[in-house]
Amino acid sequence: MSELIPTCALGGTMPRTETFGALTLTEVADLALASLALRRNGVRPAPMGMALPDTGQWHAGEGIAAFWTGPDQWMVEGPGRAEEDFARLIKAEAPDASVTDQTDGWVVFDIASSAGGGRIVDLLAKLVNIDPRRLAAGTACRTGLEHMAVFVIRRADDRLTIMGMRSAAATIWHALAGAAARLEGSAT
Amino acid sequence: MLIPHPLLGPRDAQEFTYLGDAALLARPDGMAEGALGAFIDYVYLRDNPAGVHRELWFHEQGDRSWLVVTRNTVTHEIIDAQLARDVALARKGAVA
Amino acid sequence: MTRLAGGLIDRTRTLSFTFDGRSYQGHPGDTLASALLANDVRLMGRSFKYHRPRGPIAAGSEEPNAMVELRRGARQEPNTRATVAELYEGLEASSQNRLGSLRFDLLAMNDLLSPFFAAGFYYKTFMWPRAFWEKLYEPIIRNAAGLGRLSMQADPDAYDKGYLHCDLLVIGAGAAGLSAALTAARAGAQVILAEEDFLLGGRLLAETHLLDEAPAGGWLAKVEAELAALPNVRIMRRTTVFGTFDHGIFGAVERVADHLPTPGNGVRQTLWRITARRSILAAGATERHIPFANNDRPGIMLAGALRSYANRWAACPGQKVAIFTNNDDGHRTALDLAAKGVEIAGVIDTRGSVSALGNYPVFVDSVVENTRGRLGLKSVTVRSGAKNFDLDCDVLGVSGGWNPNLHLASHHRARPVWNDTLHAFVPGENGPPGMTVAGAAMGQGSTAAAMTAGASAAVAAMEGLGLRAAMPELPRAEKADANLYPLWHVPGKGRAWVDFQNDVTVKDIRLANQENMRPVEHLKRWTTLGMATDQGKTANVTALAVMAELTGKSVAETGTTMFRPPYTGVSLGVLGGGDTGPHFRPRRLTPSHVWAAERGAVFIEVGPWMRAQYFPQAGETEWRQTVDREVLATRQGVGICDVTTLGKVDVQGRDATLFLDRLYANAMASLKVGMVRYGLMLREDGLAYDDGTCARLAEDEYVVTTTTAQAGPVFRHMEYARQCLWPELDVQLVSTTEAWAQFAVAGPNARALLQRVVDNFDLSNEAFPFMACAGLTVCGGLRARLFRISFSGELAYEIAVPSRYGNALMARLVEVGSDLGATPYGTEALGVMRIEKGHAAGNELNGQTTAQMLGMGRMVSAKKDAIGSVMSRREGLLAETRVLVGLQPVDPALPVVAGAHLFTEGDGHSTATDQGWITSACYSPHVGSAIGLGFLANGAMRMGEVVVAANPLQGGEVRVRVVSPHFVDPDGGRLRV
Repeated sequence: MSELIPTCALGGTMPRTETFGALTLTEVADLALASLALRRNGVRPAPMGMALPDTGQWHAGEGIAAFWTGPDQWMVEGPGRAEEDFARLIKAEAPDASVTDQTDGWVVFDIASSAGGGRIVDLLAKLVNIDPRRLAAGTACRTGLEHMAVFVIRRADDRLTIMGMRSAAATIWHALAGAAARLEGSAT
Repeated sequence: MLIPHPLLGPRDAQEFTYLGDAALLARPDGMAEGALGAFIDYVYLRDNPAGVHRELWFHEQGDRSWLVVTRNTVTHEIIDAQLARDVALARKGAVA
Repeated sequence: MTRLAGGLIDRTRTLSFTFDGRSYQGHPGDTLASALLANDVRLMGRSFKYHRPRGPIAAGSEEPNAMVELRRGARQEPNTRATVAELYEGLEASSQNRLGSLRFDLLAMNDLLSPFFAAGFYYKTFMWPRAFWEKLYEPIIRNAAGLGRLSMQADPDAYDKGYLHCDLLVIGAGAAGLSAALTAARAGAQVILAEEDFLLGGRLLAETHLLDEAPAGGWLAKVEAELAALPNVRIMRRTTVFGTFDHGIFGAVERVADHLPTPGNGVRQTLWRITARRSILAAGATERHIPFANNDRPGIMLAGALRSYANRWAACPGQKVAIFTNNDDGHRTALDLAAKGVEIAGVIDTRGSVSALGNYPVFVDSVVENTRGRLGLKSVTVRSGAKNFDLDCDVLGVSGGWNPNLHLASHHRARPVWNDTLHAFVPGENGPPGMTVAGAAMGQGSTAAAMTAGASAAVAAMEGLGLRAAMPELPRAEKADANLYPLWHVPGKGRAWVDFQNDVTVKDIRLANQENMRPVEHLKRWTTLGMATDQGKTANVTALAVMAELTGKSVAETGTTMFRPPYTGVSLGVLGGGDTGPHFRPRRLTPSHVWAAERGAVFIEVGPWMRAQYFPQAGETEWRQTVDREVLATRQGVGICDVTTLGKVDVQGRDATLFLDRLYANAMASLKVGMVRYGLMLREDGLAYDDGTCARLAEDEYVVTTTTAQAGPVFRHMEYARQCLWPELDVQLVSTTEAWAQFAVAGPNARALLQRVVDNFDLSNEAFPFMACAGLTVCGGLRARLFRISFSGELAYEIAVPSRYGNALMARLVEVGSDLGATPYGTEALGVMRIEKGHAAGNELNGQTTAQMLGMGRMVSAKKDAIGSVMSRREGLLAETRVLVGLQPVDPALPVVAGAHLFTEGDGHSTATDQGWITSACYSPHVGSAIGLGFLANGAMRMGEVVVAANPLQGGEVRVRVVSPHFVDPDGGRLRV
């Protein structure tokens, strides 16, 4: 690839990770993203054989995943494919849809709990104003976090992903790490 | 307030941006005869009811849908919420 | 130290604390007030206006008197109620609102001057002469006003916030609230039980009634254990629900660490926003007193509070207790205290035929007329029928009935209604949707009635949610009626306090009545009744009843003042949340931020963005040196600037072209693939909204840019046009602002520099002319976009790469261009160069200007119906003659100031003679003097004229010459080489 060396959203050359008690925060730097929107009255495609999820849902296919972002709009995820032209790949799979490269538009933070889903629910209460019952495993939504719009994806009971504006990575990290630290009683 | 999003269920009003009277959906034809007069009404003349009001809300920190929300401005009771796109299309269908 | 037997304090442990520097001891479970009373300290403060000696009258959050400064140093908190401050080891408190000691307060002379401080005295006294207000009256009042003192230091504690969602929120964990929570919890609902106290139980903690023939503690423990074990219940102690908002949203503050010496690593308080589908208000009731002359001496308390101190805290504020009551509840206090071995001097009952519940004297048909005792009660004067006699006692419990705590049910403007049977206001109709009020808050004051009401309310709430709930088995409990006969005040000569905190007496209400300040809202403002930290919880209803009596109206007709959040005081720290300083608001960093910081850039806030303002080099001592160098280096060689902050929107669809043609005032339909065009957006009212570029990447794909400031609003506006105005068009929008790091590469060497990073791409003027755009790769295969656009007036490009490569590309460009003079520049040089070129920016696109004023009137196409185009042709806007011009000082040594107004030479400076204003100004190293842009009446016809730029705000005026706004390359030749 290019001779240039990429920078992670938090500014390092390596993604950042930190553990607060049972909660581990990880910056994910290699997730490829492409938005996919249906053309007017278009037919819902199935990129790489994956059915696009319904309203408010997230689900994973073979090597890719997707979540609903709005009426007739989705975000398609390609884990580990940030260096590929992922949008072109998805466009080839959905030639009748509008596809846009979003890989660098977002900073992605994974949060894993080693103490089960309850700790994730407690953390959510400190972050977003969404009823955790509406954020069960397999769902995704966009909502406000510290005055910013973020995507919240509950990939599993004990695993959460927060995606926000890449430029605000440090602010989002501060919010997530601070909430996790206060919850786990560790100093920030 | 909670806005009953037609696709997503109740969501806090903090996620939304308010615009105003849903009469804005009825934009006049700028190329028609007498367009200027029609636009002056459209841009400046608004009802400001103490009671039931149809208004536009944008789900800015959400799915980016514009909604037409029918709300009682006195009690804040929300009677109805629809996707503005559906309302606008139905309106245009009726006109055409 | 006077401790009674029993109580809910942990006598196995002792806590030391100080009050006004003296050391005392208490136990876990104590409040500061209970511990002080147990140490025979009952003088805890001075009143607001008259500096009267005061002690606590209550045992909860309604307390008006016993307010202290808690803690020391930066953590000092004024106006803390001693009645709710939990005791901890080492607690330090001091009394407030005094000059000298608490016992000998020099400001107590105010009490002797009381005739001058009657209701409305501010309005009457400090009127004339007018000039005295600012210099004399206000400083005096400010000095005397207020109670406690702030530390004047930054708050060292952390605060948190959060969001909770539940099926049922139960506010208050007394008999009604616990029954309600239990009922709903067993039905499987998500329940939040919020209690402001640190123990669950409410009045059950303060009463001796039996539940199923056993002390209430057993039932409380059982219920608490069951609720704590249920996963669907969240018990929140030390949590005050302070406000009811629309649609089941509540505000609550959890005092996480206020009972500890310091929060340590944790937070002090958490602000919760609770969204509840249903709610039950079970906030109990507040006892009211009965005003009589000198009813404010330490030792005079609410009778129910005496019971709380004796039963829960094993404390009594004296040795010999009298009770003044108009109902049976007062007798309970006598009974409970007698059972604890306290001497009862007698119960003074206003009613005619009552008998004692135990072995104590009862004086029927009697009232307390006056009291004695300078720093604490010594005796009371009783009028019994026609007789008067003194009764020795150092404690007097007063019981005038109970007022339901209905505040949270009235935050939606629902008016409480007067209940003639209960002689109290109870919650009325039209309360918050989804809320039921139960227990004493609804006037259902007996334990049995409260429990049943709580459980029934929960059953009904569950039914509304589609859940089936069963009434729980409730213990047998007392269901006595208080048999209240209303008496609102004892008429007489002396001052009878109604509102202790604000020193409002019956006389003040009488005066307000005489002065026609009768409506309750007027009464409140005229007398200051019900204001300040307690919001009149122990005063308001009594005051209304007194006013009703004076006006000959019923209490129902007199009505209540408006209830508003918060129920009790909320600290600004917790409302502000934990984030201060650099975390006060979201901060956005540009892709080249790390490189710029390493390079020593000075950053500036541009909205949420931190942008490099300029890049100082060694030897540069003043910012202007740096900026001048960056400008000249760009104009002579090549400069590079991170312009990622400009908004970018990807527009796709079969109708993308038509959509953009309607969005922009100028023609877009003719734009060819591979080309870029300047675009001007108008608002529908015809004024200029935003500008940017529109690049056609493919037949059905565009990327448009917005200004940095308007990126969010313009995207919203575009979605509005797409969804609301033209939903029939096939258009899809998505923001790509963040996805691409974009750099302006400007200057005569721009092409040469870019040639060194592009992969086999022909940059020649023929292959890639002015306003061209293309996708390409750079630096060995990296995807990129190139636009030949210029904001500086030089040969210029903007190059975009995926954001994570932005930092490296910036470094690469500067590195490989060193021999070409490649120079990074910041927002300051960017601004200078755009002013030199005469490009409009935020200062010119300020929402008050038109395309015509910007010199772009002819761009607005009349051949299509774009947003704002019709209204831009309004007569009034067409008649506007002010247009954008350049301005240059006649004396090149003089500055040009943005915001200055322009006047014709020789004219006076007034609105009538105003010719326009200067929008932007800077020092131009290219011109060699200050320059400006501005809007000038008939500007196009005045080239060469000298006008006056006047700056009355800061003083000074400068003669400036009107010139073309294009100080650089007016023909645009440089752009096209």
